[in-house]
Amino acid sequence: MKSRTRIPTTPLLMILPSFLLAMSIIGYPILDLAWTSMQEVSRFGKMMGFVGLANFAEVFRDPLFYSSLVRTVIWTVAVVGGTLIISLPIAIMLNDDFYGRGLARVIVMLPWAISLTMTAVLWRWSLNGRAGLINATLMDFHIISEPIEWLATAPLAFTVEILVGILVSIPFTTTIFLGGLSSLPQDSYEAAVVDGAKPWDLFRYITLPLMKPFINIAIVLNVIYVFNSLPIIWVMTEGGPANGTDILVTYLYKLAFRFGQLGKASAISLIMFSVLFVFTIAYVLMVMRQEHDNTAEEVKHDA
Amino acid sequence: MAWAGSPAYAKTQVNFTVAEYSSKTGPYFEEVAAAFEKENPDIHINIQVVPWDTLLQRLTTDIAGGQAPDISIIGTRWLVDFASQGIAEPVDSYLTPEFKSTFIDTFMAPSVIDGKTMGLPVAASARAMLVNTDLLDKAGAKAPANWDEFYTTAEKLKAVPDTFAFGLQGKEIETDAYFYYSLWTHGGDILKGDGTSGLDTPEALQAVTLYKKMIDEGLTQPSPTNYTREDVFNLFKQGKVGMVFTFPMLIPQIKAEAPNLKYKVLPFPEGKAKATYGVTDTLMLFSSSQVKKEAWKFIEFAYKDEWRTKFDHGEGFLPVTKNVAAEKYYSSDPDIAGFAAGLPYAKFAPTIANWEEIADTTVRALQQIYLGQAKPDEALKAAAADINKIRSK
Repeated sequence: MKSRTRIPTTPLLMILPSFLLAMSIIGYPILDLAWTSMQEVSRFGKMMGFVGLANFAEVFRDPLFYSSLVRTVIWTVAVVGGTLIISLPIAIMLNDDFYGRGLARVIVMLPWAISLTMTAVLWRWSLNGRAGLINATLMDFHIISEPIEWLATAPLAFTVEILVGILVSIPFTTTIFLGGLSSLPQDSYEAAVVDGAKPWDLFRYITLPLMKPFINIAIVLNVIYVFNSLPIIWVMTEGGPANGTDILVTYLYKLAFRFGQLGKASAISLIMFSVLFVFTIAYVLMVMRQEHDNTAEEVKHDA
Repeated sequence: MAWAGSPAYAKTQVNFTVAEYSSKTGPYFEEVAAAFEKENPDIHINIQVVPWDTLLQRLTTDIAGGQAPDISIIGTRWLVDFASQGIAEPVDSYLTPEFKSTFIDTFMAPSVIDGKTMGLPVAASARAMLVNTDLLDKAGAKAPANWDEFYTTAEKLKAVPDTFAFGLQGKEIETDAYFYYSLWTHGGDILKGDGTSGLDTPEALQAVTLYKKMIDEGLTQPSPTNYTREDVFNLFKQGKVGMVFTFPMLIPQIKAEAPNLKYKVLPFPEGKAKATYGVTDTLMLFSSSQVKKEAWKFIEFAYKDEWRTKFDHGEGFLPVTKNVAAEKYYSSDPDIAGFAAGLPYAKFAPTIANWEEIADTTVRALQQIYLGQAKPDEALKAAAADINKIRSK
């Protein structure tokens, strides 16, 4: 009992240097951001004096902040959800042994190597109303009779941007899932097949539960990544028309680099950091408790 | 590591940040600097060429980091921000009456803030209307001189298949400028005499209602909110649009990419007033500079007629100095003359603080109107109120 409550000092001392280094690298920018968000900042980055929470008050009075926040949530949930739903079957297919599997895997990964900005530029061209490849193709196949102006209205433009967002997130997510699938124990499947399980049962009762840790990692990483992702929306519509596709990060970019309101931009940036921080902690706690419950259950069964 | 390459004897170093207009800009300024250094062996000019897209960000970082250059080319619309933060040096004490008189007054005016000259005009352009004369002939229409004719011409052009009558921009940079052309010629202005927004005036409503009506009647390309300036110009180059409003830099593009296109440069349609949009860039001296005297010596050198002629012809700009403007080229070349014709009545974006935010508010209102999300008068009134708030009026 005694040995359990005693705090082991030696290991703690040993990780102290790297802990301090990590804290200064991670902590300094955040502290600096917090400091900036409570200052009046000139458009050339000069601190003009402490203003307390005035920047935050201004952000919370701004209707564009709330509409961007709502859209950020839709954007994140839709892109991450869509990515997971598509990536898992792709990973399962690529995990099967078939002729040309290596090539197929490379093809799925390749888009990952292209910069997001370039992908967005290509889509912007493809979606051009008069000269775009998409409309030309759809019209050749007589699917549509008139060109569609994909990016002219906010609802359609935002939908298209979500689809592009899903498309570019698939390679990374598929990679995580492939890694997970290759580590699954094959004997469970063999045993289940012997017991007469159908493919859907295999997926539902073996693959999905065993893949849970990988799905959780994919969710956390994708949420952080997508929530903060600027290039797709910025390149395709700059948050327009009429601010109808603005998410927090595009709005923040406009505030900082177009309007020169660095204080207000820092405040939004800090709010975004807090949202992600709370989400990540809450999610990790939830997942850990679940795993703890599962282990407890298993222990009970054994007894 | 400034000392690493320093010569044996101390030359005075002048750092000059140049905005890149085209691939010719950098070599041109290197040439000017070399000629200047020949006459002034004790001064060295360091030229830094920065693309327009990143210029403001670059200067912001340089200034924040205490590494500001001695002189820089900037967009005149940013000058108020530079001046109000004490970053720009007033140049009145350097500006001899003789040197001052070389400039065309219209272009000097935007650089004067609170009675002080905060910089010199370095480049200028004005806007005008381009019409596709082939399409006009096909439609049996004539080039319009006023807004009523513009509308009837557009109606005739609509009958020509696979083309659009009027290319209207509704997306991204200068969407507001495309509206100001109409606003000014209808007799309105961006700001009223008392400094409040001019968007809630009858003239502004008239200007935007005309555009909206043309969108609804199919006299523009469909869904202008999907078309940037470049998209609209591309349609014109492809011969698919009868009339566009544009800048002089489109002319070399047409000559290179669509040499067979038949076009004419005309003034904007008139309403209650004649107007064009004049745009200038400013050469600014930094107040933090330690070598202002040397920097100014270089500036005076760079404004000699031979250099200005070379610069303006090379980049396709309109002249900012009287001697260059008097050249025959600016009245004999029909394209250049078409743009230069508007200079006497050119209007400029007001030099006011927070201009980018005001422009953004205007663009939002315009897009809501073009999309039919808001009624023109309501959207304009709301935008005017927002702008007044931004300006604390």
